[in-house]
Amino acid sequence: MKILGISAHYHDSAAALVIDSVPVCAVQEERLSRRKNDAAFPLSAIDWCLEHGGVQPEELDAVVFYERPMLKFERILTCTLRSFPSSWRAFPKAMKNLLGEKIWVRGIISSHLGVPARKILFTEHHQSHAAAAFLTSPSRRAAILTADGVGEWATLTIGHGERRPDGSAAITLLREIRFPHSLGMLYSTFTAYLGFAVNEDEYKVMGLAAYGRPTMVDRIRKLIQRTPDGAFALDLDYFEYQTTAERSFSSRFVDLFGPPRESSEPIDLATATGQRFADCACSVQRVLEDILVEMARELQRETGAADLCLGGGVALNGVANARILAESGFERVFVPAAPGDAGCALGAALYADRIHFRNPDREIPDHPFWGPPVDGADLARVAREDSQLVEELDEYSLMERIAGDLAAGRIVGWMDGASEFGPRALGHRSILAAPHTAEMRDRLNRDIKYREEFRPFAPVVPIEAAAHYFALPPGGLRLARFMSGVFPVRPEWRSRLAAITHIDGTARVQALEREMAPRLYALLEAYGRCTGIPVLLNTSFNLAGEPIVNRAIEGYSTFRRSGIDILVAGRTLVVKRASSAAKLKETGT
Amino acid sequence: MRLVSPKVRATPLDRMLRPVHSWIWADAERRARKLLRFAETEADGGRDLSRAAELTPDPLLRRLYLAHASDEQRHAELFRRRGAGILRSFPSRSQPAFQANWLAPGERGLDDLRVDNTPDDALLAFLHLSEKAAASRFALYREVLAHDPATRAVFDEILSDEAFHMNYTYSQLTRVAPRRYRRRLWWSRLARLWKGYLRLATALAGMMGTIVLTIQYFILLPPFAWLAKRAGRREAPGWTPISSKRNNSIRSQY
Repeated sequence: MKILGISAHYHDSAAALVIDSVPVCAVQEERLSRRKNDAAFPLSAIDWCLEHGGVQPEELDAVVFYERPMLKFERILTCTLRSFPSSWRAFPKAMKNLLGEKIWVRGIISSHLGVPARKILFTEHHQSHAAAAFLTSPSRRAAILTADGVGEWATLTIGHGERRPDGSAAITLLREIRFPHSLGMLYSTFTAYLGFAVNEDEYKVMGLAAYGRPTMVDRIRKLIQRTPDGAFALDLDYFEYQTTAERSFSSRFVDLFGPPRESSEPIDLATATGQRFADCACSVQRVLEDILVEMARELQRETGAADLCLGGGVALNGVANARILAESGFERVFVPAAPGDAGCALGAALYADRIHFRNPDREIPDHPFWGPPVDGADLARVAREDSQLVEELDEYSLMERIAGDLAAGRIVGWMDGASEFGPRALGHRSILAAPHTAEMRDRLNRDIKYREEFRPFAPVVPIEAAAHYFALPPGGLRLARFMSGVFPVRPEWRSRLAAITHIDGTARVQALEREMAPRLYALLEAYGRCTGIPVLLNTSFNLAGEPIVNRAIEGYSTFRRSGIDILVAGRTLVVKRASSAAKLKETGT
Repeated sequence: MRLVSPKVRATPLDRMLRPVHSWIWADAERRARKLLRFAETEADGGRDLSRAAELTPDPLLRRLYLAHASDEQRHAELFRRRGAGILRSFPSRSQPAFQANWLAPGERGLDDLRVDNTPDDALLAFLHLSEKAAASRFALYREVLAHDPATRAVFDEILSDEAFHMNYTYSQLTRVAPRRYRRRLWWSRLARLWKGYLRLATALAGMMGTIVLTIQYFILLPPFAWLAKRAGRREAPGWTPISSKRNNSIRSQY
C-alpha cells in the first residue's frame, strides 16, 4: 500500500510517504519553501515525497490528514461562544482564518492530488502523535503519553501501544485532558511572557531556566492545580489564549509575575529584571517537569509497561524527558526525532497503515534521515563559480583533514546524505566545532548563529564513549539517540567541554551509533585520534530565523553569510576565501 | 572602499507629506517601535535575497545577492540596536503609540516579494524600484530626524548601502536583459501599482468581512453562547475518557 501523510495549517507543515508499511521519505515544508515553521499546505513537500517515492497521485491508496479539521473548528467556535461577549474581536478573525482554507482540507487534497474523497482519511491530532511515537520506536509494548498546546480538543492524552505476536499493532488512547487546560499552553504562555515567539522559542525558556532559581513555583502552582483524578486544571483567570489570539496571559498574570519582557530587550542576567525572567523560566520548567513526572509515574503503575513513548511538542523538552526517565519507573523512554506537528504527517500515515488497514507491522529503520539528499557535485560547481577553494578528497583523507581543522578551531558546515526529519540536526545538516572552550561557544553565538548568550550548544559523541563524558542513567543512551534528553556532563570533563556544558553542568547530548551516521561517526573517531576527546559541538546548520539547510546551495549560501570556515558536502570540501567586497561592488555596478 | 553615493532625494509626494513624517518620527516610543519593525523587514529582505542567491544560475548575481543579503542583515542589526536603545531610555507605556506603518514603511515593507519562480530580470527590476523607493524615503526620514542624531546616523549609514543596491540592480538588469530592461522596469512599476490595489482591496474586503461577522456575533450568537456556557459549566476539569469508537474511526473529519 502507498499512503501519504500530511500535516498542515498551524505550524511545521510536512508530508511523509509510507510504502508497504515502511516510511520511504518525509520532509517539512519549511526545508523546501525556506520559510521557517512554514504552516502552509505542504505542496512542495508532497510533490517531493511523491517524486522521491516514484509514486503518481492516482497510485496512492490513502492520503491521511493529521487531525480532524471540523472537530478543531468546533472547539474554536465553542471556546469563542463560551467567552461571549469578550471574544467579539477574536470571532471575526477566527472565522476568516478557518473558513478561508483550514476546514476545507478534503477538497484541497482532492483538488491538488486528484484523489477521490473516499481515499482521504483523518486521524485525530493526538492519535498522530501517539503513532509517530510508538510505531517508529522499536518497543513491543509501551505506555504512550502525548502532550502539546492543543490538537482538536485534547491537549494531553495517555494510552498504550502493542505489537502483537500475530503481526498486528494496536494503539489505544485511554483518556485525555481537554482544552483550555493544557501543559503546552502553560509553557507557551510563559514563552510569550518572556518575550519569545510562541510555538518556536519554547526551547529558549528551557535554556534560560538553567540560569534561574525556582523561586516562583508556588505562584505557578496557583495557575495550575492537580485535580482529584490525577489530571490538572488551569485557573483561566490568569490566561487569555482561550479567548483571543492577541495575548496569552491576562492582567492578573502580570500582577502575579510583574511586567512582561519586551522581545527586543536583551536579557541581562546581571540585573534584577533579567534574574526575575530567569527565575520565572526556571519555575515554570520545574512545574512542567513535576507534573509530567507524576503523570508518567501514575501511567507506569497503571500499565506496568517498561517502555514509555512520548509524543507532542512537549516531548521536545529534554530536561523533562531526562527526569521522566530517571524518576517515573519506566526503563526506556522513546521520543521520535520529530515529536512535534511535523512528525504527525508520518504518524498519521503509519496509523492508517497499521490500525485502519490492519497491515502487518514491519520494523522501521531507526534513524531520522528521511529528507532530500545533498549532492557534493552541486557544491563543487557553485563554489568554483565563486572562485572558492574546492577540494575533493578520499574518505580517509577527508576525515583526517576535517578533524585537524576542527582541532585547530575552525568551524565546519557539514552536509551528508538525506536531511533529518524533525527539528534537530542529528549529523546530516550540522555545524560542527571543537567543544572545548567557552570562547568557541561565544564565537558561534556571535558570528554564526546570532543568538542569545544563554542558549547552550549540544555535543555529539560515539555511543560507546558517551558514558565516559556524560552521566547517563540506565536508558539514557536511547533518549540521547535523537538528542531528546539533557544529562550532566561528568564534572571532570566540564572544563574541557566548556562550549557544550550549560551553566548548570548539563548538555543535550547525542549518542551516535555508527550505523546511523557512519561518516559523522568516522569524523568523531578521527577527531578523537587528533585531540584525545571524540566529542564535537553539533548545532543545526542554519542562521537565525532560517530553516535548517537542505540542498548544497543553501549550505553554501549560509557558509558565505556567516563565520563558517569550511563547508563539506559528501566528499567535497570548500575552504572559505576572503572575498573583496569593494571589488565586488565595482564589478556589480 | 565605499562607493560615492549619488544624492538620494525624497520623492515629491513624500516631501509634501513631510509634516506627517515629522509627526510620526517625533514620538520616541513610536520611533523605537518603527525602527524595530524596520529591523524585521530588513531581516526578511535579507532572507529573500539569500534565497534569490540560492536560486539564480548566474554566478555574479549570486555573489551580489549574497553581499546584498549581508548588508540587509547588518541594517537589521543597526535598526534593532537603535530601536532597543531608545526603548531602554524611557519606561514603557501600557498603550503603545499609534504606529502609522502605512505612512512610513521600511524597505519593501509594503511589497510582497516571491523569489521562487521569479526570473532574474524581473527580480532585479523589482529590487531596483524597491531600493529606490526605500532610499528616497530613508532620505526623508533622515531629514526629519534632526532632533535625534543617533537615529539619523543609522539612516546615514544605511543610505550609502542603498545607493549601491540601487546601482547594482540597475546595471545588472541592463546586463541580463539588455534589450528589454526598460520594459521590465515599467512592468515592475505596474506590478507595484497592481499589488497596491490588491492590498487595498484585500484590506477593504477584510474590513467588510469583520463588520459583517461582528454584527452576526452580536445578533445571532447570544443564545448559542448561553448554551455553550451552560454546557461548559457542566464539564468537570480532569480526565475525559476516550471511547474505543474514536480510537478506531479515521474516516470522518468530525
